[in-house]
Amino acid sequence: MNTDAEQQRIAALPFDKALAEFKATVEKLEAGNLPLEESIALFEQGVLLQRRCEKMLSEAELRFQRLVEQAGGKVRALDLSMGEAEEPG
Amino acid sequence: MRDPIQPTEPTGPMQTDARAASLPVLSVGDLTALVKNTLRSQPRLREVWVEGEVGQVSISAAGHCYFTLKDERAQLKCVIFRDDRMVMPFEARTGLRLLAQGSIDVFDAQGVYQLYVRSIQPSGFGDLALQFEALKAKLAAEGLFDPARKRKLPPMPHNIGVVTSLSGAVLHDIRRVLARRWPMARVVVSACQVQGQGAAATIVAALRRVGRWTDEESGCATDVVILARGGGSLEDLWPFNDESVVRAVAAHPCPVVVAVGHETDVTLAEFAADVRAATPSVAAELVVPARVDELARVNQLGVRLNGALNQTLVSLRQQLATETRALEARHPQAQITADRERVGVLLDRAARVVARRLEVERSNLSRAADSLPALVAGGIAIARGDMRRESAALNALSPFATLERGYSIVRGPDGAVLTDARKAKQGDQLSVRLQRGEIGARVETVRDSGS
Repeated sequence: MNTDAEQQRIAALPFDKALAEFKATVEKLEAGNLPLEESIALFEQGVLLQRRCEKMLSEAELRFQRLVEQAGGKVRALDLSMGEAEEPG
Repeated sequence: MRDPIQPTEPTGPMQTDARAASLPVLSVGDLTALVKNTLRSQPRLREVWVEGEVGQVSISAAGHCYFTLKDERAQLKCVIFRDDRMVMPFEARTGLRLLAQGSIDVFDAQGVYQLYVRSIQPSGFGDLALQFEALKAKLAAEGLFDPARKRKLPPMPHNIGVVTSLSGAVLHDIRRVLARRWPMARVVVSACQVQGQGAAATIVAALRRVGRWTDEESGCATDVVILARGGGSLEDLWPFNDESVVRAVAAHPCPVVVAVGHETDVTLAEFAADVRAATPSVAAELVVPARVDELARVNQLGVRLNGALNQTLVSLRQQLATETRALEARHPQAQITADRERVGVLLDRAARVVARRLEVERSNLSRAADSLPALVAGGIAIARGDMRRESAALNALSPFATLERGYSIVRGPDGAVLTDARKAKQGDQLSVRLQRGEIGARVETVRDSGS
Protein backbone atom coordinates (compact mmCIF):
# COMPACT_ATOMS: atom_id res chain seq x y z
CA MET A 1 0.00 0.00 0.00
CA ASN A 2 2.67 2.50 0.99
CA THR A 3 4.66 2.26 -2.16
CA ASP A 4 7.12 4.92 -3.24
CA ALA A 5 4.51 6.30 -5.60
CA GLU A 6 2.09 6.71 -2.69
CA GLN A 7 4.74 8.43 -0.60
CA GLN A 8 5.50 10.79 -3.44
CA ARG A 9 1.83 11.51 -3.96
CA ILE A 10 1.40 12.45 -0.28
CA ALA A 11 4.56 14.55 -0.25
CA ALA A 12 3.10 16.68 -3.04
CA LEU A 13 -0.40 17.17 -1.56
CA PRO A 14 -1.52 20.71 -0.80
CA PHE A 15 -2.29 21.30 2.86
CA ASP A 16 -6.08 21.22 2.71
CA LYS A 17 -6.11 17.95 0.73
CA ALA A 18 -3.56 16.34 3.06
CA LEU A 19 -5.56 17.40 6.11
CA ALA A 20 -8.86 16.14 4.64
CA GLU A 21 -7.27 12.80 3.74
CA PHE A 22 -5.65 12.55 7.16
CA LYS A 23 -9.03 13.12 8.82
CA ALA A 24 -10.72 10.51 6.59
CA THR A 25 -7.95 8.00 7.37
CA VAL A 26 -8.31 8.51 11.12
CA GLU A 27 -12.09 8.15 10.90
CA LYS A 28 -11.84 4.96 8.84
CA LEU A 29 -9.41 3.44 11.32
CA GLU A 30 -11.60 4.52 14.22
CA ALA A 31 -14.64 2.86 12.64
CA GLY A 32 -12.75 -0.42 13.02
CA ASN A 33 -13.88 -3.80 11.57
CA LEU A 34 -10.84 -3.92 9.32
CA PRO A 35 -8.35 -6.75 8.89
CA LEU A 36 -5.10 -6.11 10.74
CA GLU A 37 -3.14 -5.79 7.50
CA GLU A 38 -5.43 -3.00 6.30
CA SER A 39 -5.45 -1.29 9.69
CA ILE A 40 -1.68 -1.10 9.68
CA ALA A 41 -1.58 0.19 6.12
CA LEU A 42 -4.08 2.91 7.10
CA PHE A 43 -2.01 3.74 10.13
CA GLU A 44 1.14 4.09 8.06
CA GLN A 45 -0.72 6.26 5.58
CA GLY A 46 -1.99 8.43 8.45
CA VAL A 47 1.54 8.90 9.74
CA LEU A 48 2.71 10.05 6.30
CA LEU A 49 -0.21 12.46 6.02
CA GLN A 50 0.37 13.87 9.49
CA ARG A 51 4.02 14.48 8.69
CA ARG A 52 3.09 16.18 5.42
CA CYS A 53 0.71 18.54 7.27
CA GLU A 54 3.20 19.34 10.02
CA LYS A 55 6.01 19.92 7.59
CA MET A 56 3.99 22.40 5.59
CA LEU A 57 2.74 24.26 8.66
CA SER A 58 6.24 24.67 10.03
CA GLU A 59 8.30 25.18 6.89
CA ALA A 60 6.16 26.99 4.32
CA GLU A 61 7.22 30.42 3.13
CA LEU A 62 4.80 32.94 1.69
CA ARG A 63 5.11 33.51 -2.05
CA PHE A 64 4.52 37.18 -2.75
CA GLN A 65 4.35 38.27 -6.37
CA ARG A 66 3.20 41.04 -8.63
CA LEU A 67 0.95 40.58 -11.66
CA VAL A 68 2.02 42.10 -14.94
CA GLU A 69 0.24 42.10 -18.26
CA GLN A 70 2.31 40.98 -21.20
CA ALA A 71 1.93 41.74 -24.86
CA GLY A 72 -1.01 39.68 -26.04
CA GLY A 73 -2.83 40.25 -22.76
CA LYS A 74 -1.48 37.28 -20.85
CA VAL A 75 -1.14 37.94 -17.11
CA ARG A 76 2.00 36.67 -15.39
CA ALA A 77 3.18 36.71 -11.79
CA LEU A 78 6.68 38.03 -11.18
CA ASP A 79 8.52 38.14 -7.89
CA LEU A 80 7.98 41.39 -6.05
CA SER A 81 10.87 42.78 -4.07
CA MET A 82 9.67 44.84 -1.16
CA GLY A 83 12.13 47.54 -2.23
CA GLU A 84 10.03 48.02 -5.31
CA ALA A 85 6.88 48.32 -3.25
CA GLU A 86 8.43 50.78 -0.84
CA GLU A 87 9.07 53.35 -3.49
CA PRO A 88 6.43 56.03 -3.53
CA GLY A 89 4.38 56.38 -6.66
CA MET B 1 -9.98 103.05 28.06
CA ARG B 2 -7.33 105.35 29.51
CA ASP B 3 -7.44 109.02 28.70
CA PRO B 4 -5.24 109.13 25.64
CA ILE B 5 -4.45 112.83 25.98
CA GLN B 6 -1.31 113.24 27.99
CA PRO B 7 0.52 116.54 27.71
CA THR B 8 4.11 115.80 26.80
CA GLU B 9 7.03 117.74 25.45
CA PRO B 10 6.88 117.95 21.70
CA THR B 11 9.74 115.86 20.38
CA GLY B 12 8.85 115.27 16.73
CA PRO B 13 6.66 116.27 13.84
CA MET B 14 4.16 113.42 14.34
CA GLN B 15 3.17 114.59 17.75
CA THR B 16 2.97 118.12 16.55
CA ASP B 17 0.59 117.02 13.76
CA ALA B 18 -1.56 114.96 16.09
CA ARG B 19 -1.88 117.74 18.53
CA ALA B 20 -2.59 120.18 15.77
CA ALA B 21 -5.49 118.03 14.59
CA SER B 22 -6.46 117.61 18.25
CA LEU B 23 -6.71 113.83 17.75
CA PRO B 24 -5.89 111.47 20.62
CA VAL B 25 -2.67 109.41 20.31
CA LEU B 26 -3.41 105.72 20.71
CA SER B 27 -1.14 102.95 21.86
CA VAL B 28 -0.92 99.91 19.52
CA GLY B 29 -2.84 97.89 22.06
CA ASP B 30 -5.60 100.48 22.28
CA LEU B 31 -5.96 100.72 18.53
CA THR B 32 -6.04 96.97 18.12
CA ALA B 33 -8.69 96.76 20.84
CA LEU B 34 -10.72 99.38 19.00
CA VAL B 35 -10.59 97.40 15.74
CA LYS B 36 -11.41 94.22 17.59
CA ASN B 37 -14.47 95.75 19.24
CA THR B 38 -15.61 97.26 15.97
CA LEU B 39 -15.44 93.86 14.24
CA ARG B 40 -17.07 92.10 17.14
CA SER B 41 -19.96 94.49 17.10
CA GLN B 42 -20.88 93.37 13.56
CA PRO B 43 -23.46 90.58 13.79
CA ARG B 44 -22.74 89.78 10.12
CA LEU B 45 -19.17 88.68 11.07
CA ARG B 46 -20.08 86.53 14.03
CA GLU B 47 -21.40 83.69 11.89
CA VAL B 48 -19.98 83.49 8.38
CA TRP B 49 -19.77 80.89 5.64
CA VAL B 50 -16.95 81.51 3.21
CA GLU B 51 -15.83 79.57 0.17
CA GLY B 52 -12.34 79.60 -1.31
CA GLU B 53 -9.25 77.66 -2.19
CA VAL B 54 -6.80 76.62 0.51
CA GLY B 55 -3.36 78.21 0.14
CA GLN B 56 -0.51 77.74 2.62
CA VAL B 57 -1.25 75.34 5.48
CA SER B 58 0.76 74.90 8.66
CA ILE B 59 0.10 72.89 11.77
CA SER B 60 1.53 74.26 15.02
CA ALA B 61 3.26 72.17 17.64
CA ALA B 62 0.12 72.46 19.75
CA GLY B 63 -1.91 70.96 16.91
CA HIS B 64 -3.72 74.04 15.67
CA CYS B 65 -4.06 74.42 11.92
CA TYR B 66 -3.29 77.78 10.27
CA PHE B 67 -4.10 78.33 6.61
CA THR B 68 -5.20 80.89 4.10
CA LEU B 69 -8.34 80.81 2.02
CA LYS B 70 -8.10 82.71 -1.23
CA ASP B 71 -9.86 83.60 -4.41
CA GLU B 72 -8.83 85.80 -7.34
CA ARG B 73 -9.13 89.03 -5.36
CA ALA B 74 -8.21 88.39 -1.73
CA GLN B 75 -6.77 86.19 0.96
CA LEU B 76 -8.19 85.38 4.37
CA LYS B 77 -6.22 84.02 7.31
CA CYS B 78 -7.94 81.10 9.01
CA VAL B 79 -7.30 79.02 12.09
CA ILE B 80 -8.75 75.72 13.25
CA PHE B 81 -8.06 74.91 16.88
CA ARG B 82 -6.78 71.48 17.74
CA ASP B 83 -9.96 70.19 19.42
CA ASP B 84 -12.14 71.22 16.47
CA ARG B 85 -9.58 69.88 14.01
CA MET B 86 -9.57 66.44 15.62
CA VAL B 87 -13.26 65.91 14.99
CA MET B 88 -13.30 67.21 11.42
CA PRO B 89 -13.83 64.61 8.70
CA PHE B 90 -10.86 65.82 6.65
CA GLU B 91 -7.89 68.18 6.77
CA ALA B 92 -7.47 71.46 4.98
CA ARG B 93 -4.90 70.84 2.26
CA THR B 94 -3.31 73.22 -0.20
CA GLY B 95 -5.29 73.39 -3.42
CA LEU B 96 -8.49 72.05 -1.92
CA ARG B 97 -11.64 74.11 -2.46
CA LEU B 98 -13.67 74.26 0.67
CA LEU B 99 -16.49 75.89 2.49
CA ALA B 100 -15.57 77.12 5.99
CA GLN B 101 -17.90 78.20 8.76
CA GLY B 102 -16.85 80.31 11.76
CA SER B 103 -16.48 83.86 13.10
CA ILE B 104 -14.17 86.77 12.35
CA ASP B 105 -11.99 88.08 15.15
CA VAL B 106 -8.70 89.84 15.74
CA PHE B 107 -5.58 88.12 17.03
CA ASP B 108 -4.10 90.98 19.05
CA ALA B 109 -0.59 89.60 19.45
CA GLN B 110 -0.02 89.49 15.68
CA GLY B 111 -2.32 92.33 14.68
CA VAL B 112 -4.27 90.25 12.22
CA TYR B 113 -7.88 89.53 11.76
CA GLN B 114 -8.76 85.95 10.92
CA LEU B 115 -11.52 83.43 10.54
CA TYR B 116 -11.87 81.14 13.56
CA VAL B 117 -13.12 78.03 11.75
CA ARG B 118 -15.59 75.73 13.44
CA SER B 119 -16.40 73.41 10.54
CA ILE B 120 -15.33 72.72 6.97
CA GLN B 121 -16.84 70.90 4.00
CA PRO B 122 -15.36 70.15 0.63
CA SER B 123 -16.74 72.63 -1.83
CA GLY B 124 -19.49 71.10 -3.92
CA PHE B 125 -19.88 68.40 -1.26
CA GLY B 126 -23.62 68.80 -1.38
CA ASP B 127 -23.60 67.63 -4.99
CA LEU B 128 -21.36 64.66 -4.20
CA ALA B 129 -23.55 63.58 -1.31
CA LEU B 130 -26.58 63.70 -3.59
CA GLN B 131 -24.78 61.69 -6.28
CA PHE B 132 -23.73 59.15 -3.67
CA GLU B 133 -27.27 58.65 -2.39
CA ALA B 134 -28.70 58.41 -5.90
CA LEU B 135 -26.13 55.81 -7.00
CA LYS B 136 -26.57 53.86 -3.78
CA ALA B 137 -30.34 53.71 -4.29
CA LYS B 138 -29.94 52.65 -7.93
CA LEU B 139 -27.44 49.86 -7.20
CA ALA B 140 -29.41 48.68 -4.18
CA ALA B 141 -32.49 48.40 -6.40
CA GLU B 142 -30.47 46.19 -8.76
CA GLY B 143 -29.68 43.94 -5.79
CA LEU B 144 -25.92 44.59 -5.79
CA PHE B 145 -25.83 44.97 -2.00
CA ASP B 146 -28.19 42.07 -1.31
CA PRO B 147 -26.91 39.96 1.61
CA ALA B 148 -28.09 36.84 -0.24
CA ARG B 149 -25.56 37.35 -3.02
CA LYS B 150 -22.60 37.64 -0.67
CA ARG B 151 -20.24 34.71 -1.06
CA LYS B 152 -18.54 32.83 1.77
CA LEU B 153 -14.77 33.10 2.03
CA PRO B 154 -12.86 29.89 1.25
CA PRO B 155 -11.59 28.27 4.48
CA MET B 156 -8.04 27.69 3.21
CA PRO B 157 -7.17 29.71 0.12
CA HIS B 158 -4.19 28.67 -2.03
CA ASN B 159 -4.03 31.81 -4.12
CA ILE B 160 -4.86 35.23 -2.72
CA GLY B 161 -5.19 38.32 -4.92
CA VAL B 162 -4.38 41.74 -3.47
CA VAL B 163 -5.50 44.88 -5.29
CA THR B 164 -3.89 48.01 -3.88
CA SER B 165 -1.20 50.61 -4.40
CA LEU B 166 2.44 49.46 -4.40
CA SER B 167 3.36 52.48 -2.32
CA GLY B 168 2.43 52.94 1.31
CA ALA B 169 2.03 50.68 4.29
CA VAL B 170 -1.02 48.69 3.11
CA LEU B 171 0.91 46.06 1.15
CA HIS B 172 3.42 45.59 3.98
CA ASP B 173 0.66 45.16 6.54
CA ILE B 174 -1.07 42.52 4.42
CA ARG B 175 2.16 40.68 3.71
CA ARG B 176 3.17 40.64 7.36
CA VAL B 177 -0.17 39.17 8.50
CA LEU B 178 -0.31 36.51 5.77
CA ALA B 179 3.32 35.45 6.31
CA ARG B 180 2.62 34.97 10.01
CA ARG B 181 -0.77 33.28 9.78
CA TRP B 182 -0.77 31.30 6.54
CA PRO B 183 2.57 31.11 4.73
CA MET B 184 1.31 28.25 2.53
CA ALA B 185 -0.59 30.76 0.42
CA ARG B 186 0.60 32.31 -2.80
CA VAL B 187 -0.12 36.04 -2.99
CA VAL B 188 -0.41 37.91 -6.29
CA VAL B 189 -0.55 41.69 -6.14
CA SER B 190 -2.39 43.60 -8.83
CA ALA B 191 -1.27 47.21 -8.55
CA CYS B 192 -3.61 50.17 -8.90
CA GLN B 193 -3.88 53.80 -7.94
CA VAL B 194 -6.15 54.15 -4.89
CA GLN B 195 -6.73 57.90 -4.98
CA GLY B 196 -6.74 60.86 -7.31
CA GLN B 197 -7.81 61.40 -10.86
CA GLY B 198 -8.26 58.18 -12.81
CA ALA B 199 -7.94 55.94 -9.73
CA ALA B 200 -11.32 54.25 -10.36
CA ALA B 201 -10.27 53.09 -13.83
CA THR B 202 -7.02 51.61 -12.47
CA ILE B 203 -8.91 49.76 -9.72
CA VAL B 204 -11.28 48.22 -12.27
CA ALA B 205 -8.34 47.25 -14.50
CA ALA B 206 -6.45 45.73 -11.53
CA LEU B 207 -9.51 43.65 -10.53
CA ARG B 208 -9.85 42.40 -14.12
CA ARG B 209 -6.15 41.54 -14.25
CA VAL B 210 -6.28 39.46 -11.08
CA GLY B 211 -9.48 37.84 -12.39
CA ARG B 212 -7.71 36.74 -15.57
CA TRP B 213 -4.68 35.25 -13.81
CA THR B 214 -4.32 31.53 -13.20
CA ASP B 215 -1.61 29.55 -11.43
CA GLU B 216 0.87 28.21 -14.02
CA GLU B 217 1.13 24.80 -12.30
CA SER B 218 -2.38 24.07 -11.05
CA GLY B 219 -4.36 26.21 -13.48
CA CYS B 220 -6.33 27.55 -10.48
CA ALA B 221 -7.44 31.18 -10.25
CA THR B 222 -7.33 33.18 -7.02
CA ASP B 223 -9.64 31.88 -4.29
CA VAL B 224 -10.21 35.30 -2.76
CA VAL B 225 -9.26 38.93 -3.44
CA ILE B 226 -8.51 41.76 -1.02
CA LEU B 227 -9.18 45.29 -2.31
CA ALA B 228 -7.57 47.70 0.15
CA ARG B 229 -6.39 51.20 0.87
CA GLY B 230 -5.29 52.75 4.14
CA GLY B 231 -7.56 55.48 5.45
CA GLY B 232 -7.53 58.98 4.00
CA SER B 233 -9.91 61.85 3.75
CA LEU B 234 -13.46 61.54 2.51
CA GLU B 235 -12.57 62.86 -0.92
CA ASP B 236 -9.62 60.43 -1.15
CA LEU B 237 -12.08 57.58 -0.78
CA TRP B 238 -14.18 58.76 -3.67
CA PRO B 239 -12.92 56.20 -6.21
CA PHE B 240 -14.49 53.53 -3.97
CA ASN B 241 -17.87 55.12 -4.63
CA ASP B 242 -17.38 55.03 -8.38
CA GLU B 243 -20.07 53.02 -10.17
CA SER B 244 -17.55 51.08 -12.29
CA VAL B 245 -15.57 50.04 -9.19
CA VAL B 246 -18.70 48.97 -7.31
CA ARG B 247 -19.86 46.88 -10.27
CA ALA B 248 -16.41 45.32 -10.73
CA VAL B 249 -16.37 44.25 -7.07
CA ALA B 250 -19.86 42.73 -7.27
CA ALA B 251 -19.13 40.92 -10.55
CA HIS B 252 -15.70 39.56 -9.58
CA PRO B 253 -15.39 35.78 -10.16
CA CYS B 254 -14.24 35.05 -6.59
CA PRO B 255 -15.18 36.56 -3.19
CA VAL B 256 -13.84 40.08 -2.56
CA VAL B 257 -12.93 41.57 0.82
CA VAL B 258 -12.88 45.38 0.77
CA ALA B 259 -10.90 47.31 3.37
CA VAL B 260 -10.95 51.05 2.99
CA GLY B 261 -9.87 51.96 6.51
CA HIS B 262 -12.23 54.84 7.14
CA GLU B 263 -14.23 54.66 10.34
CA THR B 264 -17.15 56.95 9.70
CA ASP B 265 -17.95 56.64 6.01
CA VAL B 266 -18.86 53.40 4.29
CA THR B 267 -18.14 53.44 0.57
CA LEU B 268 -20.35 51.76 -2.02
CA ALA B 269 -17.55 49.31 -2.86
CA GLU B 270 -17.78 48.08 0.73
CA PHE B 271 -21.54 47.62 0.42
CA ALA B 272 -20.94 45.49 -2.68
CA ALA B 273 -18.09 43.48 -1.09
CA ASP B 274 -18.64 39.91 0.05
CA VAL B 275 -16.95 40.90 3.31
CA ARG B 276 -16.06 44.34 4.63
CA ALA B 277 -12.97 44.71 6.83
CA ALA B 278 -12.06 47.67 9.03
CA THR B 279 -8.41 47.78 7.95
CA PRO B 280 -6.13 46.00 5.44
CA SER B 281 -4.56 43.96 8.28
CA VAL B 282 -7.98 42.80 9.42
CA ALA B 283 -8.81 41.84 5.83
CA ALA B 284 -5.67 39.68 5.71
CA GLU B 285 -6.64 38.00 8.99
CA LEU B 286 -10.13 37.27 7.69
CA VAL B 287 -9.07 35.48 4.50
CA VAL B 288 -6.80 32.83 6.07
CA PRO B 289 -6.94 30.49 9.08
CA ALA B 290 -4.26 30.71 11.79
CA ARG B 291 -1.47 28.19 11.37
CA VAL B 292 -1.22 27.63 15.13
CA ASP B 293 -4.86 26.48 15.20
CA GLU B 294 -4.29 24.08 12.31
CA LEU B 295 -1.15 22.66 13.93
CA ALA B 296 -3.19 21.93 17.05
CA ARG B 297 -5.83 20.23 14.88
CA VAL B 298 -3.25 18.06 13.12
CA ASN B 299 -1.81 17.03 16.48
CA GLN B 300 -5.26 16.16 17.76
CA LEU B 301 -5.85 13.93 14.74
CA GLY B 302 -2.47 12.30 15.41
CA VAL B 303 -3.60 11.39 18.91
CA ARG B 304 -6.79 9.87 17.48
CA LEU B 305 -4.80 7.92 14.87
CA ASN B 306 -2.68 6.32 17.59
CA GLY B 307 -5.73 5.59 19.71
CA ALA B 308 -7.54 3.96 16.77
CA LEU B 309 -4.66 1.58 16.00
CA ASN B 310 -4.38 0.68 19.66
CA GLN B 311 -8.09 -0.11 19.76
CA THR B 312 -7.77 -2.30 16.64
CA LEU B 313 -4.92 -4.27 18.19
CA VAL B 314 -6.74 -4.77 21.46
CA SER B 315 -9.85 -6.17 19.77
CA LEU B 316 -7.79 -8.40 17.47
CA ARG B 317 -5.99 -9.83 20.48
CA GLN B 318 -9.30 -10.70 22.11
CA GLN B 319 -10.49 -12.31 18.86
CA LEU B 320 -7.27 -14.28 18.63
CA ALA B 321 -7.57 -15.55 22.18
CA THR B 322 -11.11 -16.76 21.49
CA GLU B 323 -10.15 -18.52 18.27
CA THR B 324 -7.11 -20.11 19.83
CA ARG B 325 -9.21 -21.68 22.54
CA ALA B 326 -11.62 -23.04 19.93
CA LEU B 327 -8.81 -24.46 17.83
CA GLU B 328 -6.95 -25.98 20.75
CA ALA B 329 -10.12 -27.83 21.65
CA ARG B 330 -10.08 -29.41 18.17
CA HIS B 331 -6.32 -29.99 18.30
CA PRO B 332 -5.16 -29.29 14.78
CA GLN B 333 -1.75 -28.20 16.00
CA ALA B 334 -0.28 -27.34 12.60
CA GLN B 335 -3.17 -25.00 11.78
CA ILE B 336 -2.83 -23.13 15.05
CA THR B 337 0.87 -22.66 14.53
CA ALA B 338 0.30 -21.35 11.02
CA ASP B 339 -2.31 -18.86 12.24
CA ARG B 340 -0.06 -17.85 15.05
CA GLU B 341 2.78 -17.27 12.69
CA ARG B 342 0.68 -15.17 10.32
CA VAL B 343 -0.67 -13.03 13.13
CA GLY B 344 2.75 -12.83 14.69
CA VAL B 345 4.31 -11.50 11.51
CA LEU B 346 1.64 -8.82 11.22
CA LEU B 347 1.94 -7.84 14.84
CA ASP B 348 5.69 -7.79 14.50
CA ARG B 349 5.24 -5.36 11.61
CA ALA B 350 2.82 -3.24 13.64
CA ALA B 351 5.33 -3.09 16.48
CA ARG B 352 8.03 -1.97 14.08
CA VAL B 353 5.76 0.67 12.56
CA VAL B 354 4.87 2.09 15.92
CA ALA B 355 8.46 1.99 17.14
CA ARG B 356 9.61 3.81 14.00
CA ARG B 357 6.83 6.33 14.43
CA LEU B 358 7.74 6.89 18.04
CA GLU B 359 11.28 7.61 16.97
CA VAL B 360 10.27 10.10 14.26
CA GLU B 361 7.54 11.68 16.33
CA ARG B 362 9.81 12.20 19.29
CA SER B 363 12.25 14.28 17.27
CA ASN B 364 9.46 15.99 15.33
CA LEU B 365 7.50 16.81 18.42
CA SER B 366 10.36 18.12 20.46
CA ARG B 367 11.21 20.39 17.54
CA ALA B 368 7.62 21.52 17.17
CA ALA B 369 7.14 21.96 20.91
CA ASP B 370 9.89 24.56 21.02
CA SER B 371 8.03 26.85 18.69
CA LEU B 372 4.51 26.19 19.90
CA PRO B 373 2.36 27.81 22.51
CA ALA B 374 1.80 25.93 25.73
CA LEU B 375 -1.68 24.82 24.69
CA VAL B 376 -0.44 22.80 21.74
CA ALA B 377 2.57 21.55 23.61
CA GLY B 378 0.15 20.11 26.17
CA GLY B 379 -1.59 18.18 23.40
CA ILE B 380 1.73 16.77 22.29
CA ALA B 381 2.53 15.57 25.79
CA ILE B 382 -0.76 13.66 25.75
CA ALA B 383 0.10 12.20 22.36
CA ARG B 384 3.43 10.99 23.73
CA GLY B 385 1.75 9.30 26.68
CA ASP B 386 -0.69 7.56 24.32
CA MET B 387 2.11 6.24 22.19
CA ARG B 388 3.92 4.81 25.19
CA ARG B 389 0.80 2.90 26.19
CA GLU B 390 0.40 1.60 22.65
CA SER B 391 3.90 0.24 22.47
CA ALA B 392 3.30 -1.58 25.75
CA ALA B 393 0.16 -3.13 24.26
CA LEU B 394 2.10 -4.18 21.19
CA ASN B 395 4.83 -5.86 23.19
CA ALA B 396 2.23 -8.09 24.76
CA LEU B 397 1.17 -9.11 21.25
CA SER B 398 4.57 -9.68 19.67
CA PRO B 399 5.37 -13.11 18.22
CA PHE B 400 7.98 -13.70 20.93
CA ALA B 401 5.28 -13.70 23.53
CA THR B 402 3.62 -16.43 21.47
CA LEU B 403 6.77 -18.56 21.37
CA GLU B 404 7.06 -18.22 25.13
CA ARG B 405 3.87 -20.19 25.42
CA GLY B 406 5.42 -23.18 23.64
CA TYR B 407 4.62 -22.54 19.98
CA SER B 408 7.37 -22.63 17.36
CA ILE B 409 7.87 -21.27 13.88
CA VAL B 410 8.80 -23.82 11.21
CA ARG B 411 10.59 -22.78 8.04
CA GLY B 412 11.15 -24.86 4.96
CA PRO B 413 14.44 -25.36 2.99
CA ASP B 414 13.77 -22.03 1.18
CA GLY B 415 13.44 -20.19 4.46
CA ALA B 416 9.70 -19.53 3.98
CA VAL B 417 7.41 -20.16 6.89
CA LEU B 418 5.75 -23.54 6.53
CA THR B 419 2.02 -23.37 7.00
CA ASP B 420 0.85 -26.40 5.06
CA ALA B 421 2.10 -29.96 5.63
CA ARG B 422 1.48 -30.76 1.95
CA LYS B 423 4.26 -28.33 1.03
CA ALA B 424 6.85 -30.43 2.85
CA LYS B 425 8.47 -33.49 1.26
CA GLN B 426 10.05 -36.38 3.03
CA GLY B 427 13.73 -35.61 3.65
CA ASP B 428 13.32 -31.80 3.57
CA GLN B 429 15.59 -29.85 5.92
CA LEU B 430 13.52 -27.67 8.23
CA SER B 431 14.46 -25.05 10.77
CA VAL B 432 12.34 -24.77 13.88
CA ARG B 433 12.45 -21.53 15.83
CA LEU B 434 11.68 -21.82 19.53
CA GLN B 435 11.44 -19.17 22.16
CA ARG B 436 15.10 -19.71 22.76
CA GLY B 437 17.27 -20.88 19.84
CA GLU B 438 16.65 -22.91 16.70
CA ILE B 439 16.59 -26.61 15.81
CA GLY B 440 17.53 -28.16 12.45
CA ALA B 441 15.14 -31.05 11.59
CA ARG B 442 14.37 -33.43 8.71
CA VAL B 443 10.91 -34.43 7.48
CA GLU B 444 10.13 -38.07 8.20
CA THR B 445 6.49 -38.33 7.22
CA VAL B 446 3.93 -35.99 5.75
CA ARG B 447 0.30 -36.26 6.82
CA ASP B 448 -2.40 -34.12 5.33
CA SER B 449 -4.65 -33.31 8.26
CA GLY B 450 -7.50 -32.91 5.81
CA SER B 451 -9.06 -30.06 7.78
